[in-house]
Amino acid sequence: MNTIDRRHFLRLALATGGALGLGTLAAPARADTSGYRALVAVFLYGGNDSFNMVVPRSAAEYAVYAAARQNLAIPQSGLLPISPLTPDGATYGLHPSMGGLQQLFGTGRAAIVANTGPLVEPATKAQVLARSVALPPQLFSHNDQQDQWHTLKGRQVLVTGWAGRVADLLEADLSTQQLPMNLSIAGTVPFQAAAQAEPYVIGDQGVVGYAALDASVFNGPLRRRAFESLLAARQPTIYGRAVKSVHQRALTYADRASTALAAAPALTTSFPDTPLGRQLAMVAKIVSVRGTLAMRRQIFLVGIGGFDTHDVQNTAQPGLLGGVSASLGAFDAAMTELGVGSQVTAFTMSDFGRTLTSNGDGTDHGWAGHQLVVGGAVQGSDIYGTMPRLEIDGPDDVGGGRIVPTIAVQQYAATLLRWFGLDETQIDAAVPGLGAFAARDLGFMA
Amino acid sequence: MAIRWMRSLRLMLAAGTALLLAACGGGGGGSGPPPPPVITKAEAHRFLMQATFGPTEADVQRVIDVGYEAWLDEQLRLPATKQLTYMRTLPQPNTQDDRMDAWFQSSLKGRDQLRQRMAFALSEIWVVSEISALSEFPQALAWYYDLLAENAFGNYRDLMERVTLSPQMGIYLSMLGNEKPDAARNIRPDENYARELMQLFTIGLVELNMDGSVRRDSGGVPLPTYDQETIEGFAHVYTGWTFGGSPSFYQPSFDWLRPMDPYEAFHDTGAKRVLNGATIPAGGTARGDLAAALDNIFAHDNVPPFVSKQLIQRFVTSNPSPAYVERVARVFADNGRGARGDLGAVIKAVLLDTEARQTPTSEDAGKLKEPLLRLTGLWRAYGAAATNGRYVVPGLAFVLGQAPLQSPSVFNFFRPDYAPPGEISQAGLVAPEMQITNDLTAALTTNIMTIAVFVWNRFDSNLPPEAVAIDFSGEVAAASDPAALVTRVAERLLGGAPSTELWREAEALAAQYPEDQAALRVLEVTHLIATSPEYAVQR
Repeated sequence: MNTIDRRHFLRLALATGGALGLGTLAAPARADTSGYRALVAVFLYGGNDSFNMVVPRSAAEYAVYAAARQNLAIPQSGLLPISPLTPDGATYGLHPSMGGLQQLFGTGRAAIVANTGPLVEPATKAQVLARSVALPPQLFSHNDQQDQWHTLKGRQVLVTGWAGRVADLLEADLSTQQLPMNLSIAGTVPFQAAAQAEPYVIGDQGVVGYAALDASVFNGPLRRRAFESLLAARQPTIYGRAVKSVHQRALTYADRASTALAAAPALTTSFPDTPLGRQLAMVAKIVSVRGTLAMRRQIFLVGIGGFDTHDVQNTAQPGLLGGVSASLGAFDAAMTELGVGSQVTAFTMSDFGRTLTSNGDGTDHGWAGHQLVVGGAVQGSDIYGTMPRLEIDGPDDVGGGRIVPTIAVQQYAATLLRWFGLDETQIDAAVPGLGAFAARDLGFMA
Repeated sequence: MAIRWMRSLRLMLAAGTALLLAACGGGGGGSGPPPPPVITKAEAHRFLMQATFGPTEADVQRVIDVGYEAWLDEQLRLPATKQLTYMRTLPQPNTQDDRMDAWFQSSLKGRDQLRQRMAFALSEIWVVSEISALSEFPQALAWYYDLLAENAFGNYRDLMERVTLSPQMGIYLSMLGNEKPDAARNIRPDENYARELMQLFTIGLVELNMDGSVRRDSGGVPLPTYDQETIEGFAHVYTGWTFGGSPSFYQPSFDWLRPMDPYEAFHDTGAKRVLNGATIPAGGTARGDLAAALDNIFAHDNVPPFVSKQLIQRFVTSNPSPAYVERVARVFADNGRGARGDLGAVIKAVLLDTEARQTPTSEDAGKLKEPLLRLTGLWRAYGAAATNGRYVVPGLAFVLGQAPLQSPSVFNFFRPDYAPPGEISQAGLVAPEMQITNDLTAALTTNIMTIAVFVWNRFDSNLPPEAVAIDFSGEVAAASDPAALVTRVAERLLGGAPSTELWREAEALAAQYPEDQAALRVLEVTHLIATSPEYAVQR
């Protein structure tokens, strides 16, 4: 937002006593922004039932799972075996539709981060039931939990997302980039909300220009000057100012982005023609022109819905999970094709996992779930964290088949951001509340 | 002179695939009502921007003639224009494009403008969407929208029940087919509807005062309205329902055009803990328990401010003063005749309140118009129509970022409390419509206005029969004088004089063309005003 200068922003940040999580911003910090690194957040909206995505295969553990899941359990013979490097006594398999992911896992290009979810501090089942630990509010509410993943707010009031805070922290380092660091192919998201460094939003078809103002149409330049004069004029309402600033930025970036994308090299990798496939294809295209746009650090957001499987879960899951697997597989292949296979890391997020229990043909909102991390820099072929016991009323079930997380979203984010190039001070600024957890690095990045 | 070059604009646009988708009259008593104050054209225009899908010259004159309240009373008496009725006149089977056509027929041409605006507002609160299992059932969605329109001025408690028993909401939020617990199969009742009915449609997550402010405990933490046990209690209430007229619970009729029916064998008959410490006793029927549950929610103190504030946001301003919210909430709580939940009285209170009617001075008065309403405003101002009489615009939802009953999730296109980062968020204010205003949608919504003016106009005699076009021939006479032209277009679209900058730029654009190119003058001026930030803002 170009009417707020950095000093004003710092005053706000410090005056709110660190509520924006940036009280340490004034301290000198050294980010590594050399080379090129990109993070691609893949948001699975609705709450992905990941207990059917990564399933125990060994007899005893499968029996526990099947007893809980009843008619929603994936048949044991259909599971795609994976061999994690760090054994935990059980064996595991992926949902039958995830052949692509199985391959990535096998070649070390994908990892599973187990039993992850929003927390404020470490919590056991006993502590949750005794209410002796602080918990994120509204645990099973979609928008509140999406917000937790987007902003890492815990019990604080945060109006910025963690990618937004990273963009603010790195703004000076990345001042020569021709586009904002944060780029969304899935609309305006809290993940990229920043105090200063606003994101850029494009569609899965690319940049859309202002047709009537284009230089190639008759009187386009004249119309553009008129429109820009209107935008330069003072608006008497907050709403007018908000909408005009979007137009101004859109006009600026549309030119640069569309020029760059017009010269993007053709890829041989083909993507599924689905919403997720198309969004990731657009990310790949933008990555392919990173040089033209002088981009060194980028955080992308793509997202799809449909994961809130209250109904017909058995019918819906193959398409949902198969789609994720195929799209991530294509994306990884495209990054390799572009020669940045170890410089781009994709990772999933989702409102929550789902209940072990069924409602007849589907599941309800849960808590902990498993996430996927994909890319050449990932220390793949492994499951990080602790797989829960999938037993209703068991040691990990806090009620109604909802599993308490053993990894916090803050730890997940911090691990990714360390690889991205932030130093420890900056990581604490971007991930407030990280200090409540012992492990600042989960180890899944090289 | 060729307008044909404008067709190349179409090629530049992204191909769209449908995605993203009583009575309190105020005033002290005494010896008869005071004469209505004189209403200016600008004030009437402003009122109609709030209360209709776009002011027209005829409506402006009507408001001036009869006054605000009488106009509202006229509107309250008009029956609903029904989408399903229109759709049945089209070749069968209907498509979702037919449903959009029906929506435009009602919203652009229906005399019951306020009722249709209310239906639209309610559709953004009681969200049901085509982007779901309902994508194959356009008539079902039209039936649901008609339900909202029919109940727009009725009682909120009735609306709660009718929507709850609609198969559309039943499918969308999983109440349809929800079963009582079955321990052997590890089945527990689904909590989806129990949660969202409270969180999004009636009371919200935190306790509210009548002025919409949040109630907090001594530590400053907002007081939650319900807990997990309450959700489970309600979830057990909403069991045993499926499509009306089904041979059995497991043999659904798939009849979308009638309320759901209860099947007692699948209804949980235990006691259920609900709001405010109440318990619905064991042994109830599905219908009886449902009535008790809805009564329990309806009685909650949050309902008046929760609903009133959102209605104010949909019609008048994103940031009403607490006092304004409270005035309307009190009418919701009691319409002056002892009835709670009288939506007719509530909408009158919203639109007749001094904060709605006074000329705004503060920077946060008003709101950003929704993209769909910017388009309907233009089309109503100029009577846009296709020669085939239909309103079929494929991909409109993608281009506008919104379309009726096409929300991407149950959270509508935007949240009532959304604040874009920067000035608005820092001031503790909100601007919900900014949630769908970003680099992509700003270009797309501008481009649809470009098409609506430069491409779909009757200066082009070769338009296809489905093009929704404006006949600008009546504007040509004024075009000989750029100043007169700008004045005329601004009055039609803005309700009065434009800002100094808009005036200057519009006049200059018109003057670029020689006098004999009147058509281009008209199109340029209309386009600039229709795409200007000040047209996008309703104040």
